[in-house]
Amino acid sequence: MSAGKILVVDDDPQIRRVMKATLVGHHYEVMEARTGEEALAAVPREMPNLILLDMNMPGMDGLETCREIRAGSEVPVIILSVRNTERDKVAALDAGADDYVTKPFGIEELLARIRAALRRSPTAPEGGPHSFSAPGLEIDFDARTVRARGKDARLTPKEFELLRYLVAHAGKAVTHRELLQAVWGPDYGDEPEYLRVFINQVRKKIEANPARPKRIVTEPWVGYRFVE
Amino acid sequence: MKPWRLAGSAAIVAAVIALYHLALGVNPTTVALTLLLAVLGISAFWGLAEALLASALGVLGFNYFFLPPMGTLTIQDPQNWIALGAFLVTAVTASQLAERARRREAEATARRLESERLYELGQVMMPEGSPASTIRKFVQKAPQVLGCAGAAFCYGPSNEIVRSGGETKVVSDAALMAAAESEDVKLDAAEGVALAPVRFGARSLGSLALVGSAAPQHTLRSIAHLAAISIEKARAMEEASHAEAARQSEALKAALLDSLAHDIKTPLTSIKAAVTSMLATAGPEQHELLSIIDEEADRLNRLAAEVIEMARIEAGKLHLEKQPLDSAELIAEALSAFAAPLRERPVAVELGEGLPQAYADRELVVQVVKQFVENALKYTPAGTPIRVSAQVKGGKIVIGVADRGPGIEENERLRIFDKFYRGRRHRFEVQGTGMGLAIAKGIVEAHGERIWVENEPGGGSAFYFSLPTGGVR
Repeated sequence: MSAGKILVVDDDPQIRRVMKATLVGHHYEVMEARTGEEALAAVPREMPNLILLDMNMPGMDGLETCREIRAGSEVPVIILSVRNTERDKVAALDAGADDYVTKPFGIEELLARIRAALRRSPTAPEGGPHSFSAPGLEIDFDARTVRARGKDARLTPKEFELLRYLVAHAGKAVTHRELLQAVWGPDYGDEPEYLRVFINQVRKKIEANPARPKRIVTEPWVGYRFVE
Repeated sequence: MKPWRLAGSAAIVAAVIALYHLALGVNPTTVALTLLLAVLGISAFWGLAEALLASALGVLGFNYFFLPPMGTLTIQDPQNWIALGAFLVTAVTASQLAERARRREAEATARRLESERLYELGQVMMPEGSPASTIRKFVQKAPQVLGCAGAAFCYGPSNEIVRSGGETKVVSDAALMAAAESEDVKLDAAEGVALAPVRFGARSLGSLALVGSAAPQHTLRSIAHLAAISIEKARAMEEASHAEAARQSEALKAALLDSLAHDIKTPLTSIKAAVTSMLATAGPEQHELLSIIDEEADRLNRLAAEVIEMARIEAGKLHLEKQPLDSAELIAEALSAFAAPLRERPVAVELGEGLPQAYADRELVVQVVKQFVENALKYTPAGTPIRVSAQVKGGKIVIGVADRGPGIEENERLRIFDKFYRGRRHRFEVQGTGMGLAIAKGIVEAHGERIWVENEPGGGSAFYFSLPTGGVR
């Protein structure tokens, strides 16, 4: 039985070859697209469970392709890119990507990311808070809505889960590893920079001054803490 | 004033007097009015001096030939004195008025001509290309437009002299250069040479000379001013186009670097993915060989990244995203990258009291701290301690990493930050490209700050760099 249908979008034929060989070896069904345009045509036709999307392609680039895919589908997207600056990661996440893997990567790392992304929408923790309310911040965990300073804040699923976990452990320092594993999955834990991208995004959406956060504070050496 | 006009004035008066003298029985009033008309005409067409001469001659002739007793310059009737006086006053006043009107018109005509010439010169000198070509154009066209024999220009910044032709030989190079320093236009009527300094604001652009020019001083000033504006504008345009070219070349370089990064990393991605995939199922014998491929792929990747980053720094293409930063967080992040090897060493972190926030690019600064820590791990014996510190010194935040290794020799302390330089002792022992510290230096200097190394009292070396403070505490 197939572990899932994966669409590999990359203009480099060798990369598509190695991906196909490896992923098929891990019981995934693999389809290929050479360009962003081909990928957009393939998504509604093939209904993949996951898309591996190259960031740097001639013609429509990865970010644009990702935005286009997001306009019509919630399929998990992992962006693959040779660039490793935070700016590029933020741009990819902003475009709607679920994850970002820097090329070159070890295949085990990629497989772990694929497994985590396919496990999509981590189950809501049992017995967690249903809502949170404080001056300038209201969260309804059941309706998945956040209002910050009187305005609706749009959080991506990952950002929302991050906030939910921090609020559920309000007042306690949550370590990087704990947070990564809770939100992304058990294969994560060594990506503090990764976490920082999402924390920054959440801060931008809920903090009055994201540079001097009052809600999600950094615990040096440890992780993050939500202040009630 | 021209002699023939004076003679002409006298002749006209003489003709009027002779005409009326021969035609007998003419009323003296008619004679006086006719003379007055003649004087007015003379003043209107020729000038005041001619009119005054005509008035004087008219008075004498009128008195001599037409006022009794005739044939003498004496006057019998006192009434005739009055008439003669009235004639003289009227003639002189009218002459003056006419002269003034005439001069005004002449001035207006001259102004108009001057404006036309300056306009034409301005058209001719439309800045194009460079100051040099603008000057060449001025020198070529000025004689024709300004109606002079020749023109010469000395361009101050290059001391280059351009002449329209042999006519300008009367002005020596030295005289032309000296004119650039002079305060104002100099006219040498004898030689027909005009020299003018050319300035834009307070800045000297050189000097110009016109040979055989009748232009007055204020016109010359206008010409010099016009030349200055045209040259300055050409210079500014040239500068702008150079800056644009440089910008485009930088943009091209950055684009090339990006595509180079992509082109090197794409095959590495295939290699790495393939080899790590095989490693997962390989037996012990293949495992060793596949590990080598995997590690070397990583090494190539690091090398490519460093070369590209170094090139980016040297092209001035480092993009700084400055923000307020906590030194403690920076250090924690850098140390977390080496969690495993650091577990085997005593690590101390010392943070100064009331440390203000730094204002810098977080990712790049962490990279510098990481580089220091990596060096300490690489170049000091296993198990020796590492001390990381952040403190305020002289209004700056100074972050340092100190070790208890062998220290760095005096003569290597500066060169250690050079590209490709590797310490003498470790050149063949420790893997590396020799670019790490050069990149760290590039990053720190892009922030306008300082990077240095000191020997620790009691042995070992300490690498430091400064950061500007920016946040509030």
